Amino acid sequence: MPRLFRSARSAMGLLALTLCPLLPAGARAAPPEAPPALRASTCSVRGLMDDIRRGLGSGSAAYKRYLRTLLREAAVTLPDAELREAFARETDPLMAEHLAAALVARAEREADLTAMDAVARRAVEDADPAVRAATLRAMRRTGALEKTGDLYERMVRDESPQVRQEAATNLIEDNAHVYAGQYGPAADTAVAAAAASNDPEVTARILDNLSTEKISPESAERIQSLLRSDDANVRKAAVNALGGVPAERMQGSREALLGMYREEKDPGVRKALLQSIAQLGFEGAIPDLQRLRAMDPRLAGEADAWIEVLGMGLQEWSLLLREKQRLQQAP
Amino acid sequence: MRRTLKNSLAALAALALIPASVTAHTVKGTHTGSVTALTNYSSGTFHGAVDIGAGGRCNYWGAETGVVGSVYWAVTIRTSGVVCNGNGSGNQNEARHAWASGWTFRQWHWIKTADSRNRTCDRCQVGNIGGTGNSTGPHAHLQQDKLGTKDTAWYRGYVSVGTAVTRAKTIGVLD
Repeated sequence: MPRLFRSARSAMGLLALTLCPLLPAGARAAPPEAPPALRASTCSVRGLMDDIRRGLGSGSAAYKRYLRTLLREAAVTLPDAELREAFARETDPLMAEHLAAALVARAEREADLTAMDAVARRAVEDADPAVRAATLRAMRRTGALEKTGDLYERMVRDESPQVRQEAATNLIEDNAHVYAGQYGPAADTAVAAAAASNDPEVTARILDNLSTEKISPESAERIQSLLRSDDANVRKAAVNALGGVPAERMQGSREALLGMYREEKDPGVRKALLQSIAQLGFEGAIPDLQRLRAMDPRLAGEADAWIEVLGMGLQEWSLLLREKQRLQQAP
Repeated sequence: MRRTLKNSLAALAALALIPASVTAHTVKGTHTGSVTALTNYSSGTFHGAVDIGAGGRCNYWGAETGVVGSVYWAVTIRTSGVVCNGNGSGNQNEARHAWASGWTFRQWHWIKTADSRNRTCDRCQVGNIGGTGNSTGPHAHLQQDKLGTKDTAWYRGYVSVGTAVTRAKTIGVLD
């Protein structure tokens, strides 16, 4: 039976490519009364790259939106071998990012399922950290987490701080915008990378910006192990992350956080502990917070605020946070 | 000034490659067909979604996810066989994406194929257009809902009943 399900995609690609023959071949100025003669030309990777190099100086949000769409469609019809060769040869980070984005678009449209591998390989192996960072950016907000194995655990250990931060940004934005924080394996990948990194800034940034509501028990244990980190920011981020764990991990996390409060010296971490204990227990956390209140007079006001807000009986965490903020902003 | 159309478009082409955060997602046609129902059926009964018919062709067009951009699709198979004209409410095959806002976008009624699996993609095929579930013929049902409330604004102004659809046609925009 004939299958025409690829035809519309091809048609869209061809539609994009029809723009190319409309372009004047040369850069000659035309007399005002006569439009420039249009001459057919072939869309090629080389031509695209030349156009990119020439056009880097312009800026318009509307054009960006329009042409992002154009690129996404055109990438499907670009010649695969030529695109891969151009990407492999390119050493300018900006151009490499654009070529990588085209390859990633082909992978995401399922026109070339292995295209993502070429980009991931470059992210790991290229000698230039700027190129490694650029190729990571090209994979942002895509399905790269599902298709690149342990790439991110390796990238967060990269020798370049810029590369490590780009990897962290990908993990955060992919989880938030591709998976909406609802896909456990993606969150587990982010937790594994956070735990694998030797850079406290990267670990703390990932955990501070990750929804943990779908993580596995193993990931919850990994985060708990980070409560013993020497770095206060990592401990604080781990505390924040444990505040949002799935229901079956809430009791264990609550006990770990309560046990930690007594030994913790950093007031910022202690403040985060109060919040996560409140998040894990809601109204049921009030007795715990009353007990903890006496341990640190510096945070008595914070504990009182949580106790008052939790006593309102609100059932949504976002509402509790809002009320807490309102309470502390009131004159 | 020696600035030509080609150079202008080249500049734009370069900008197109620059990643940027975009929150709105366009929805494109899932297959070639036409819109057969929107907020209300012709009978007046509430529907609250976009139905795209397939001109009676069953198991012929690939059922492509309509959302433009890479998002995760969770696929639920409730019917394994080829069903073109309905096999009862609740038996439809479904591809859905849950947004961080709590809204969920769903595509229903397609027939299971080897492509019917969970994954992240930008407009990929999850099956063939069919009529599984509550259906009187092969079509795609595109719905955005949250806690039982259907969003009827996302497609308003983009399509009407009878509008011809291809995969290049914009069906609506999800904020």
